[in-house]
Amino acid sequence: MTTPALLSVTGLRAGFGAQTILHGVDLDVPEGKVVGIFGLNGAGKSVLLKVLAGVVPTWSGSVWLDGADITGLSPEKRVQRGMAHVPQGRQVFGSMSVEQNLRVGAWALRRRDKSRYDERLAQVYDTFPRLAERRRQPAVTLSGGEQAMLAVGRALISDPKIVLIDEPSAGLAPAVVEDLLSVLLAVRSFGLTMLLVEQNIRFGLRLSDSACLLQRGRVVYSGETSSLDQEKLGTYLGVGRLLADDLSKGLGGKPVAKKRARARAG
Amino acid sequence: MQVIVVGLIAGSIYALIALGIALVYKATRVLNFAQAEIGTGTLYFTWWLCTRHGLPWFVGALASIAAAIAIGLLFEVFVIRKMMTAPRVTVTVATIGLFSFVLALELAFFAGTIYSVPPPLHPGGVRIGGVFVSWSQWLALGVVCAVALGLAAFLRYTDFGLAVQASADDPVAAQLMGTPRAKISAFTWGTAGALSALAVLLIDPTIGGVLSPGAFSGLFIGGLTAALVGGLNSLPGAFVGGLAVGVIEAEVKAHLDFNAIPSSNVTAMLVIVLAVLLLRPQGLFGATAGRRA
Amino acid sequence: MTVAEETGVVVAPRAERPRRTRFWTERRSNVAIAVLLFVALPLLTEHAMPKLLEQHHYFNLDVGVAMAVAAISLNLLLGYTGQISLGHAGLLAAGAFASGIMTSRWHASMVFGLLFAMVVGAAVAFVLGLPALRLSGLYLGIVTVIFGLAMQSSLLRSSFLSGGSAGVPMFRRVWGSTMTTDNAVFLVVSLLLLLGVWLVDVNVVGTRLGRAFRAIRENEAVAQAFGIPVTRYKLLAFTISGAMAGLAGAMYGHTIGYVNNEKPFDSTMSLMLVIIVMVAGAGRRLAVVFAALLFWLFPSFIESLHQWSYVVGGFLLMATVRTHPDGIADLLHHRRKPPPAPDAADSDGDDELPALPQLPAPARPIEPLLSAAADAPLLEVSDVTVSFGGLNAVDHVSLAVPTGSVVGLIGPNGAGKSTLFNAISGLVPIGQGRISLRGKEIQGLRCDQRASLGIARSFQHVGLARDLSVRENFLLAQHQLAPYSDVEALLMLPRAARAEAEFRARADEAIAALGFEAMADMPVRNLSGGQQRIVEIACLLVTAPELVLLDEPSAGMAPAAAENLATRLRDLRDALGRTVLLIEHNVPLVLDTCDYVYVLDAGKLIAEGAPAEIAANRAVIDAYFGAAV
Repeated sequence: MTTPALLSVTGLRAGFGAQTILHGVDLDVPEGKVVGIFGLNGAGKSVLLKVLAGVVPTWSGSVWLDGADITGLSPEKRVQRGMAHVPQGRQVFGSMSVEQNLRVGAWALRRRDKSRYDERLAQVYDTFPRLAERRRQPAVTLSGGEQAMLAVGRALISDPKIVLIDEPSAGLAPAVVEDLLSVLLAVRSFGLTMLLVEQNIRFGLRLSDSACLLQRGRVVYSGETSSLDQEKLGTYLGVGRLLADDLSKGLGGKPVAKKRARARAG
Repeated sequence: MQVIVVGLIAGSIYALIALGIALVYKATRVLNFAQAEIGTGTLYFTWWLCTRHGLPWFVGALASIAAAIAIGLLFEVFVIRKMMTAPRVTVTVATIGLFSFVLALELAFFAGTIYSVPPPLHPGGVRIGGVFVSWSQWLALGVVCAVALGLAAFLRYTDFGLAVQASADDPVAAQLMGTPRAKISAFTWGTAGALSALAVLLIDPTIGGVLSPGAFSGLFIGGLTAALVGGLNSLPGAFVGGLAVGVIEAEVKAHLDFNAIPSSNVTAMLVIVLAVLLLRPQGLFGATAGRRA
Repeated sequence: MTVAEETGVVVAPRAERPRRTRFWTERRSNVAIAVLLFVALPLLTEHAMPKLLEQHHYFNLDVGVAMAVAAISLNLLLGYTGQISLGHAGLLAAGAFASGIMTSRWHASMVFGLLFAMVVGAAVAFVLGLPALRLSGLYLGIVTVIFGLAMQSSLLRSSFLSGGSAGVPMFRRVWGSTMTTDNAVFLVVSLLLLLGVWLVDVNVVGTRLGRAFRAIRENEAVAQAFGIPVTRYKLLAFTISGAMAGLAGAMYGHTIGYVNNEKPFDSTMSLMLVIIVMVAGAGRRLAVVFAALLFWLFPSFIESLHQWSYVVGGFLLMATVRTHPDGIADLLHHRRKPPPAPDAADSDGDDELPALPQLPAPARPIEPLLSAAADAPLLEVSDVTVSFGGLNAVDHVSLAVPTGSVVGLIGPNGAGKSTLFNAISGLVPIGQGRISLRGKEIQGLRCDQRASLGIARSFQHVGLARDLSVRENFLLAQHQLAPYSDVEALLMLPRAARAEAEFRARADEAIAALGFEAMADMPVRNLSGGQQRIVEIACLLVTAPELVLLDEPSAGMAPAAAENLATRLRDLRDALGRTVLLIEHNVPLVLDTCDYVYVLDAGKLIAEGAPAEIAANRAVIDAYFGAAV
């Protein structure tokens, strides 16, 4: 008997105006796992996250979080229920300081249990020492990588049940992407549940326990990352045999070395 | 010197209007053309309670502020909330509609007679170093400083205030952090209403307590010019802009008012606005436009 | 095998419609109506009208007609161009005072007075508009509201003009000391003036002026990409509006015989004009005129309700912008003719994309650039950097596009491709570096100037004026080809009329080539995604541009349609001889159609070469799919 997934999406249909973008998406995110959503531009990856966030309305289907139906809820209520977001392009509040950004991110936490705020803030600063150094600086003065760290810290500070991350590596230099990957791997090792949309497939596959391929608003593959093979990647991502061949070499059951991360209780 | 003090006090009241305009603009990129008229309309409540029914000024003032907050909230719920995705120019036209509506109601009910509202405090005042400052003017100065500091502290140190700032910066990201979008919008427009009522309440004694429809268009113009000078999306700018415009206006009125251009202070506002737009459109403190569509 | 079947390229056939020329073109009928009125009305006045109506009825009609002119004036500014004026009464007042001074103080004829009123109205509008219109739409609203109050309480009380509230008498001086006091006669004059203004507005709509105004209202970036100098046109709209407003004010003034700083031009009049234009139907001349007449005639019949009309007006304005921003006329129009259901909006149906039209090169009023050496690249980007805040969105990028080739620009999300496009087309300034077109440096030029030099670009979210019809977009696209001046357009002088006819013919050819005759007059937003895209590309080609920049053209298209797009892109180079720079996410599409490919990642150029090289390039694979960790 398998435990029900933390986040469960069934038959999700949504779109803009008269155009349907998602044609009945089914998706499960088990607790403590990372699910990666991949697909070409226009497949509907970002729209899916926006619908799960509650920013784009659902036409039909349902979304359940931790045993409760959240399908009709506003974005605010979903965050209260334990959802957190790292939006596409980071979207830090540029005119506010790093610490103020984190405090806004902790909105749900401070509604629930204000006393835990200081402790959580300290944990975030521990995980991201560069943010601690720059705590009073306006967020707009941070580098791209630091803004990415801030966006992740802002999502983590409220001790969420699940984090939805939208293309975290977009627009970042390769070295910065490396750093970001190790941070997110560390976060994964704490047991945090994540739903990740990524265009950078290797980044996404390194981080994910299971993968979900979207094509034109439909799920065309869903399963363990380790059982993705070159054929599926080639077909569904249209990347051509050469690249698919290359990609699949990095996968297939080989344990990936995790950078040592500082363990933190809960 | 007297002129400068008078100018500063009038300017501080312009700053209240400018604060309202800047708050709304910063949060929604909409220019609230009704920023002074709301308070003008609600001042009739004060008249009704104080002059007609003899209640103390304080009660009338509270009534006016409460009514203005209500108007702001109603406008937000019935108009603004339905236009979240409409182009900013269209929403600005909606505020023009509010302006017309309130002004038209004043004209419909109260046109023809000039009403009077009692002053908040006794006439008379204090003379400091050759400059006379009346009690009403002290009150205005005190209230404006309290409001400006209070608002600044609220926005900077409270959770909700930070949420308002975040929402002004990036409304979608703010929503994704769990901040309550509807409440923030209501706060913005309710506060705009309150600032409007406060400004009109404070400036009315300085013009002898008269009240007639659209009487405070000069206040609106002053506040609008101040907001532009300070930078449309800057709250500190609104404050500084208000003081600056007040002083300039007082100086112009004292030295440059002649038959060639009577009431030259109003023309001066026009000149200031044109100059600002030509030379430094973002105002003293504003960010250069263009971050969001 | 026909040539078409062999090469796979379809050459657009000339339109088959019989060219039966109508005698009564719109222009001729307008002129005929004008002549008829000119002849008929005085006859009616002398013999019929005095028996039908009293003098004070004529008086009210005169006022109504004057305000109808004012409504047309504001409609041009607010309805077409989307710029707010909250002080239009001030412009009317300026015109009234101008004419009043001319006729009373300088004893000139009313003819000169009215002309002077127009000049003054235009001049005041120009002075007010110049600082404000360089910026976004709200600033004109700010300037005009302050202007309105300044006029009312200060400027019009100047001793130069009148002295205090004394005001200016407005004589209806015909010549010398001959005045006309008959309101009916003045009504004839007023109606003729209204007719004149109406016809000018017709000409605005029928030439590139109106199309440019409406494009500006909808999307300034798209307007610029079509070669429209946005600030200049906004100023032009305000100036024309000011001239009409000045005329309206003078007409009103001469009707009532006297104006001062408060009567009749006050802030409530400015507000009512805004309400009338927005509520009746922004951009619809007939509705606006009708509403103006209704509003200003109505109170004369029911005096006591006059004050409530303002209340209703304010309420209606809020209700209108909230629910149906295009006004009542638009609502009625839609009730009568519901828009056709967007067919196959899912893009599942349109696998077939029609061929791009092949049109003869147009006559260009602008001198083509002196061609550099034949093998020099058409476009050269040298060491260009674009930064936002502290981040370099484009970091020291250099690329070259040889004439007659299709060059691809690919890279992961956020790599800076669209920013680079915006820098090349002029929507975004560059921090450093050079951009040259045929050897001529263009990095200092505005976007519309670069469009006039031959750079055409598409937008990710279809760069068309979506409220305009397909045909109007084809006409809009030909903006920079117009050989006529603004004055010629306003008066629809022969050169403008001829040019417009040519533009219409060219648009018809393009529409026929696409096979879109059925949808030619539908607003573009009613077409499917793929159809909009092909219309957009066809519009770009109408001016035979030197360089075509395509920004993710396959975005939002079904895979089968995207396949088709590849063929069309090849047509661009092979059949139509265009040079293309293409951004795409659809990597196979790019590798299939391009001669050369550049790869961007995090703002930097990481690879370039022929498609086959790129497909095997390590750095490219890493950029897209992540470096091996």
